[in-house]
Amino acid sequence: MSFFLTYVLVATALFAFTAVFTLFALYSERKISAFIQDRLGPMEVGKYGSLQAFADILKMLQKEFIIPTAADKILFILAPTVIFVSVYLGFAALPWAPGLIPASLNLGIFYIFAILSVETLGILMAGWGSNNKYALLGSMRSVAQMVSYEIPAGIAIISVVMISQSLNLQEISIKQGILSPDTMKFLGLWDVKSIGGFLSWNIFQAPHLIIAYLIYFIASLAECNRAPFDIPEAESELVAGFHIEYSGLRFAFVFLAEYSMMFLVGMIGVVMFLGGWNSPLPNIGSVKLATLTTGLGWGIFWVLMKTLTVVAVQIWIRWTLPRLRVDQLMSLCWKVLTPLAFLCMLISGIWQLTVMQN
Amino acid sequence: MSSEQIIFYFFAAMVLISALLVVSIHNLVRSIFLFFVTLFSLAALYVFAFADFVAITQVVIYVGGVLVLMLFAFMLSNKELLSKINPVKGIIRVNHIVAILVCTLFLFILLNVIIKADFESLSWIKTADQINGKDNTVHQIGIQTMTRYLLPFEVLSVLLLMALIGAAHLARKEKKV
Repeated sequence: MSFFLTYVLVATALFAFTAVFTLFALYSERKISAFIQDRLGPMEVGKYGSLQAFADILKMLQKEFIIPTAADKILFILAPTVIFVSVYLGFAALPWAPGLIPASLNLGIFYIFAILSVETLGILMAGWGSNNKYALLGSMRSVAQMVSYEIPAGIAIISVVMISQSLNLQEISIKQGILSPDTMKFLGLWDVKSIGGFLSWNIFQAPHLIIAYLIYFIASLAECNRAPFDIPEAESELVAGFHIEYSGLRFAFVFLAEYSMMFLVGMIGVVMFLGGWNSPLPNIGSVKLATLTTGLGWGIFWVLMKTLTVVAVQIWIRWTLPRLRVDQLMSLCWKVLTPLAFLCMLISGIWQLTVMQN
Repeated sequence: MSSEQIIFYFFAAMVLISALLVVSIHNLVRSIFLFFVTLFSLAALYVFAFADFVAITQVVIYVGGVLVLMLFAFMLSNKELLSKINPVKGIIRVNHIVAILVCTLFLFILLNVIIKADFESLSWIKTADQINGKDNTVHQIGIQTMTRYLLPFEVLSVLLLMALIGAAHLARKEKKV
């Protein structure tokens, strides 16, 4: 029985984490956007507006559930749950520290990709169920964008899988640090098995993965529907896109899904390319920094720090770049990112056969 | 009943009930979304058969690809075209007879195959290796695809390439003469 109890506890902890993360991300998004636009941002609620996110949540909790008369009620009510649950299920296979992973699946990364594709269905449900032309247009744009950008993201990830020779996210993490059983070479030249640190991250083990990471990062922005890829929400054209008709807690769930998605795609990128829970500090001679800073607590610390940095960059980009047009969006995906991702995959194969096998 | 059996029967019931609803419901969009429940529960049944790769591929291809395509086709099609397809109320109608006949025959063929095949005494099933839940099935699938099933794999990829070229050709703008 305790077996099932641990699963329930882990699931609850992950849910609590996504909720807390969303609160902090909301606050930081407002503060960072304010900084970029030379404003102060929220200042009234609490010291420096630090309680603003809690005030927002309280407001959301009190609001009425409004269902439009012409809406398809079942689809309308179910959609936010489907959207959030599909993102939340993805968290099940992410490794947090050596030996700490909710579900160590052999097919980890493939599973996450599969389960994230359910989100597109939830967005279509929301768009159709609302019976609103803005919502429908927004959801169509969103799905078209997500389906197209899944391809470069997927191929960039495959090029990592070819280097790591595993789909299990925990194994991919292990192979990027001092706990690795195999030899690792910095840029394919210098054996860094006992040195570790950032030198043994995937992007430095095989330098073409830096390009793969950029492709993945751009595609992940598009999958989160965030600026510069926010045509599904384009305020000036579609008011708010697919979640225009939602109010109260249902709207909060859509928001929760968006921010959890940001964290999830950021963390996938960190685990696949930036060493996961491995410490960025290398062993220098007798100063064993990498050995010292690898462990359960340190693992969680590093993975959180790296992912939060990636999320901060996502926010930064959202508030600096203008929105892409639909045709620019599609030509970027199909004419630039996809061929480059294929090239990365090809180089990965050659790299694996020539450099890493020796 | 053990908890595994309860979960299995739960998903089996989900598949059957949702599949029946998919064909009987009059609202087309809802039936497509219900189809998602069918496919997802089917994926759960694949997991029970230790076919985790097949289960996840099922979700990727059917949920992420085919269902979204169906929804797009539905949403982009003409409203007047759809209103012409008025579903007839009631199950037994003259225009249903053919369909019922075909379905019954097909069911008969399927049952016949299942009974006559006698799966438990087939030689290749008896000699097959047992797998357990911890095995890395992808490894095996990769090796088998590249050795034993290389020809079907390559033929399939050529077929998909043909479909891709065909789609690109159809979508291309006609040259002005």
